[in-house]
Amino acid sequence: MRTSLAVLALASLFASPVLAADGVAKAPPEGEYRKVSELVKLPDFLPGLGQLYVDPATLPAGPFLAYDHDGSLVSTIYMLPVADLTNKDKRFDDLAAPGGAVDHVDVYLNAGHPGVEMPHTHVVLWHVPAADEVRVAK
Amino acid sequence: MIVTRRRVLRIGGVVLAGLAGTASGSTGGAAEIAMRGNEDGSDVWYDPVGLHVRPGQTIRWTNHDAGNAHTATAYHPHHAGRPARMPPDAVPWDSDYLLPGESFAVTLLVEGVYDYFCLPHEPAGMVGRIVVGSPPVAGPPPGDVPGVFPSVEQILREGSVRRSRTAAALRRRREHFVASCIS
Ligand SMILES: [Cu+2]
Repeated sequence: MRTSLAVLALASLFASPVLAADGVAKAPPEGEYRKVSELVKLPDFLPGLGQLYVDPATLPAGPFLAYDHDGSLVSTIYMLPVADLTNKDKRFDDLAAPGGAVDHVDVYLNAGHPGVEMPHTHVVLWHVPAADEVRVAK
Repeated sequence: MIVTRRRVLRIGGVVLAGLAGTASGSTGGAAEIAMRGNEDGSDVWYDPVGLHVRPGQTIRWTNHDAGNAHTATAYHPHHAGRPARMPPDAVPWDSDYLLPGESFAVTLLVEGVYDYFCLPHEPAGMVGRIVVGSPPVAGPPPGDVPGVFPSVEQILREGSVRRSRTAAALRRRREHFVASCIS
């Protein structure tokens, strides 16, 4: 009995994806991260993204850490101004990626919002399967 | 139920009424403009984008975009150093950021053409035009962007103008967008 439990525990450990770095798997993340809706005037939960946290020193690129309604990390988002992406003298280097294993990636345009007040590209590293994106749909 | 906070300022030729939340039952006579965005936030706009009102009629903007904050801000040097694009004797307004469900209203008394924009979304083409009364139409106002602003003539003719979805209008908005991003 004890052995099988131990095996089960071990199996579940290997079955789960690479775990997020300590301190970011659950909201609020540790470190310098602040809730975006407390930094700028934005809804606390953004449909399609979730509840966002960012270290203000890393704006505008981020990473932004996005959490579902249960406070579980669902994605890591970089917000890259279109103006910077068309500027040969601008680079984004060594952006932090504390969220662990990436299941898939979305890249799309955003018109801008408080905090990143210019058109920019969202690069979304999803840490959950595409089917689980509904957790932050609304 | 959202509590309504109301502040009314009377300054010269303009009456400003700022409303937070939904003022139910108080929309009689007001012309409504919705602030909208699509699902992924790549597109934002005022609906209608062009509006004809009579002097003294209240205009109310309401944020119907669940994923963003918007402003309705008059083109005026007081606002991000923009050029004045409103009658010289009228007072500029700025709604400040409106969260989803919040509203802001303004009453314009001076006849003329008023252009306004959304502070974070001007590069994305979120601009609008209000014509008050029947001002003389003498060509497009300074800084006009055809395809982004509807023409004064069309607003006077139709009363309320929604964003054009013609291929030509989409192309002009896209060109405006790209030019705004890289300038
Ligand atoms: Cu806007």
